[in-house]
Amino acid sequence: MDLESRGIPGGYILTEEFRQADIAQSKALGFEAAKVFVEHPIQDRSDAEMHDIADRAFDAVVGLILAEQAETE
Amino acid sequence: MSQILLDPTSELQAQARAVLPRLTSLQDKTIGLLDINKPRGKELLDRIQFRFEELGVNVRRYAKPTMTRVAPLETKQQIASECDAVIEALAD
Amino acid sequence: MTIHFELILKRDCPTCAMLEPVVAAMQDAGLALDIYSQDDPEFPESAASVIDDRNLEKSWREDIETVPTLIRRNEHGDTERTEGWVQDDWRRLTELEHLGADLPAFRPGCGSLSVGPGMAETLALRFGEIQLKARKLEIGEQEDELEACFERGWSDGLPVVPPTEIRVVRMLAGTNRAADEVLGLVPPDLQPCTIEKAAINAVMAGCKPEYFPVVIAALEAALVDTFCMHGLLATTWFSGPMIVVNGPITGAIGMNSGGNALGQGNRANATIGRALQLIIRNVGGGRPGEVDRSTLGNPGKYTFCFAENEADSCWESLMEERGIEAGKSAVTLFAADGVQGMADQKSRDPDSLCRSFASSLLSVGHSKFAMLGDAFVIMSPEHQRTFREAGWSKQQFKDRVLELTTRPGSELIAGMDGNTEGMPEFVKDMDLPKFKRGGLNVEHAGGTAGMFSAIISGWLASGEMGSSPVTKEIEP
Repeated sequence: MDLESRGIPGGYILTEEFRQADIAQSKALGFEAAKVFVEHPIQDRSDAEMHDIADRAFDAVVGLILAEQAETE
Repeated sequence: MSQILLDPTSELQAQARAVLPRLTSLQDKTIGLLDINKPRGKELLDRIQFRFEELGVNVRRYAKPTMTRVAPLETKQQIASECDAVIEALAD
Repeated sequence: MTIHFELILKRDCPTCAMLEPVVAAMQDAGLALDIYSQDDPEFPESAASVIDDRNLEKSWREDIETVPTLIRRNEHGDTERTEGWVQDDWRRLTELEHLGADLPAFRPGCGSLSVGPGMAETLALRFGEIQLKARKLEIGEQEDELEACFERGWSDGLPVVPPTEIRVVRMLAGTNRAADEVLGLVPPDLQPCTIEKAAINAVMAGCKPEYFPVVIAALEAALVDTFCMHGLLATTWFSGPMIVVNGPITGAIGMNSGGNALGQGNRANATIGRALQLIIRNVGGGRPGEVDRSTLGNPGKYTFCFAENEADSCWESLMEERGIEAGKSAVTLFAADGVQGMADQKSRDPDSLCRSFASSLLSVGHSKFAMLGDAFVIMSPEHQRTFREAGWSKQQFKDRVLELTTRPGSELIAGMDGNTEGMPEFVKDMDLPKFKRGGLNVEHAGGTAGMFSAIISGWLASGEMGSSPVTKEIEP
């Protein structure tokens, strides 16, 4: 929803299913947002599986908002 | 039809619209997590929140009323005034 | 076949439509004839074949202004042409004695589609006559082009005119100078600024092409070493470039030197000053919060440009004082803060009025400072009248004000008057003029009513330690 134009850095988590749609959208909007892709489908996953997906994506999610050279600790 | 504009700059920057600089530290920062209200997004963000809080980061949660519409202006303004960075999930 | 004919026409022209039998007769006579149609390749129906010129390339290359145009080329490549329907001319060119016998002797043609409004630039771009070097950025289909300019960081905070190729080509037509000429290195990034880059930013600022020579001169002045644009941009002080324009160009492009000259509402004033700032922002990379470290800035950093009212002035113009002869046009740049009002509605003799100016000028920068910031006095017509009636020259005015603003150093040193700020101890036995030699400038502008003038104070770092005013002649 483009909070970047309000001065707030940010990014998206989206599923692999939407990779192509995202490419088209980025082109149309003229802006390539930071993003992390997670596996698809997820609608049928258990809570434990969702935790697992979140845990595996977490480092990349931090990378959406934190500069590369910065320390997380 | 897309339009062509001529670059008024010295062209030192990359052609794509640049993203903002990222945060240099998470210390004392507030991260907004915006649930756009797609199935399982809440559970994913619950865990992301937990992991951020483990690092001592403040987390605020926001939700779009429906995934089919853009977030209301108030939500955008609220996030912009309360957060240092924002993560949206599950976006499409 | 040594003689060859070309006929350019369009269906949407009654004269062209009338020529169906003429085309047929020329073909029947076996003439070598190429027919180009600007709007409908099915027209004229009497033609055996028609060349589609809907992209107007042929029309543009042949400089067609009117349709129909008939061109005759002989074996040496010499051409002769006739426009519209002039029976005698057509018969002479085709050597067909009875051509168009059923038609009136004369019928004027219609305008060629290649010369419609804005078509010259469009076609010059389309067929490669003009090649712009700037990077072309594609705006996304769902992007609003005005928002796109904001998002890319090109704006000073107000909307900019999206710099399309057509607009830039039209801007470039405002100068005789080549698009690839480099005007200099723009601070702070010290990036080369070509005429083309200046034109792109002038488009964004909202300039008309006829303003462009003024923008170019202003940029050239800003890039002169003694103006110190780099330091001016980076300073925590308020200043930004103020542009005073002199000479006949001010009337030609409709600049305001009268009522509200320093204010809003005049396109030339507003956009010329803005164009210079946008060039510094976009080409030079000088942006607030980055290299621009100004504590408060001032609204003139959006734009600060106006003309001197020379016609009604009894004094030599600012430009003439600075070595540009009357009849020419020039810009003078000054590292300016904001506008300070100076009221005197009572003085009827010049000395009293000088005292009003002097006491107000003492506050420039700090009332205990001397020989730091320069100042401009923008003298209103009603104030200048007092000096005119008394027969005072501009130099007399300046000399008297400088005399009145010269104070003993002992009054100005740090710590005096219970005020820690002030001049260094070593000046205590000197007499200190408020302004350095050449540090007080005067020009004439403003509405005819109001015994108010403006004092424009300048960057504390003036002269050799910072910025000096720079004057540059405006070239076409």
